[in-house]
Amino acid sequence: MKGNEAMAEAAILAGCDAYFGYPITPQSEVLEYLAREMPKHNRIVMQAESEVASINMVYGAAGAGFRAMTSSSSPGISLMQEGISYIAGAELPCLIVNVNRAGPGLGTIQPGQGDYFQSVKGGGHGDYKMIVLAPASVQEMADFVYLGFDLADKYRNPVLMLSDGAIGQMMEKVQFKPYTRPAVDKSWATTGKPKTRNRNYITSLFIQPERMEQHNLKLEEKFKKIRENEVRFEEINTADAEYLFVAYGLSARICQKAMDIAREKGIKIGLLRPITLYPYPYKRLEELAAQVKMMLSVELNSGQMVEDVRLAVNGKVPVEFYGRMGGMMPTPEEIVHHLETLIQYHHAN
Amino acid sequence: MEDNTNKTAAVKERKVKGRVEIDIQKCKGCELCTTACKEHALALSETINIKGYRYIIANNDACTGCVNCALVCPDAVITVYRTHPKKKPVDITPENIREQLQTMISPSK
Repeated sequence: MKGNEAMAEAAILAGCDAYFGYPITPQSEVLEYLAREMPKHNRIVMQAESEVASINMVYGAAGAGFRAMTSSSSPGISLMQEGISYIAGAELPCLIVNVNRAGPGLGTIQPGQGDYFQSVKGGGHGDYKMIVLAPASVQEMADFVYLGFDLADKYRNPVLMLSDGAIGQMMEKVQFKPYTRPAVDKSWATTGKPKTRNRNYITSLFIQPERMEQHNLKLEEKFKKIRENEVRFEEINTADAEYLFVAYGLSARICQKAMDIAREKGIKIGLLRPITLYPYPYKRLEELAAQVKMMLSVELNSGQMVEDVRLAVNGKVPVEFYGRMGGMMPTPEEIVHHLETLIQYHHAN
Repeated sequence: MEDNTNKTAAVKERKVKGRVEIDIQKCKGCELCTTACKEHALALSETINIKGYRYIIANNDACTGCVNCALVCPDAVITVYRTHPKKKPVDITPENIREQLQTMISPSK
């Protein structure tokens, strides 16, 4: 299955009640698939008039207690930022999928990872964070839909799945794991007021600064809890590693191959792949900084995640960067060549 | 002069020939088929399809009908038709359609 289709099928299995979207390459297959399959399960699919409309429809559906989701690619996600900020402010669970393409502007439809900052640092206005999941295979595209919905419900926070054009278009084997939906209390939802309870309000507006600050503190408390409990990452060959690749998503796939080539050449290199980009595995990187001589962050952008790696390492070891932009993908050989030059350079100095 | 004529002929005579049909709207231009094609008969187009991808175009003259491209295509956009020299191509026109169909059903007559 294509990554996009696997994700769409997983959304149906995860009990997604409503999908609102707007077609954009390389993400259109999600809308195409769901428009065909969702009505069979009596669920709602709607092609909104724009990305702005679709995220606000998600806001409404999530407020009514439904599992709502939307997906888009980079320019569309930029349009959605206002709505996402409102959803985070109103503390509503929803899943947003970004099938990243190369930018800025309309850019190209080929894969990129240039939306890293936008995804993990908030993106929209105000103090908020999203839980960001980065799949590196079609299988994970499917699995993270379950995980994303569960995390969203657990923390009442929007969850972003940061995929990219290549994984979305890639055809791979995928196995849909059996899924049981955890019971979540949604007594806050606006489902019509019975006589037995007070009105439920869904809002992100707090005019009095005192109340707004209390709300901010509450959100910060939640983000702290997320940082403590939800850090996920994958390590390959780090036990004896002298050098370390740090890469997520598609670039992690390329780095795995590069790692094999480098190991054949006798370079002891490992790979750390953050699965959650927010919360970021700062702690583990700090530990690894005591072990390795150099880290190389490989991304499909001009160097975004490398800043978080440097933050974690805090100057203990050199952190280098290699990236391609504009929808071009580096070959494993290219990365190994760059790695060798860097090792030589650091050895000489 | 002889050299030039050879060049215009470009592709050597083959016994088995192929013809490739591509569903250009489904193609995402991943170029797996261009590497799979031993005859370099496939290439990316200069124009784009409805989704914005450059799609694959085929040079049917160079095609041997080996079907490598269709096998490797993840989206099944390629169909290959193979012509064999021993079988005569059937030429059906509105005038001879009855006759032709009869020969196809019972060739002995």
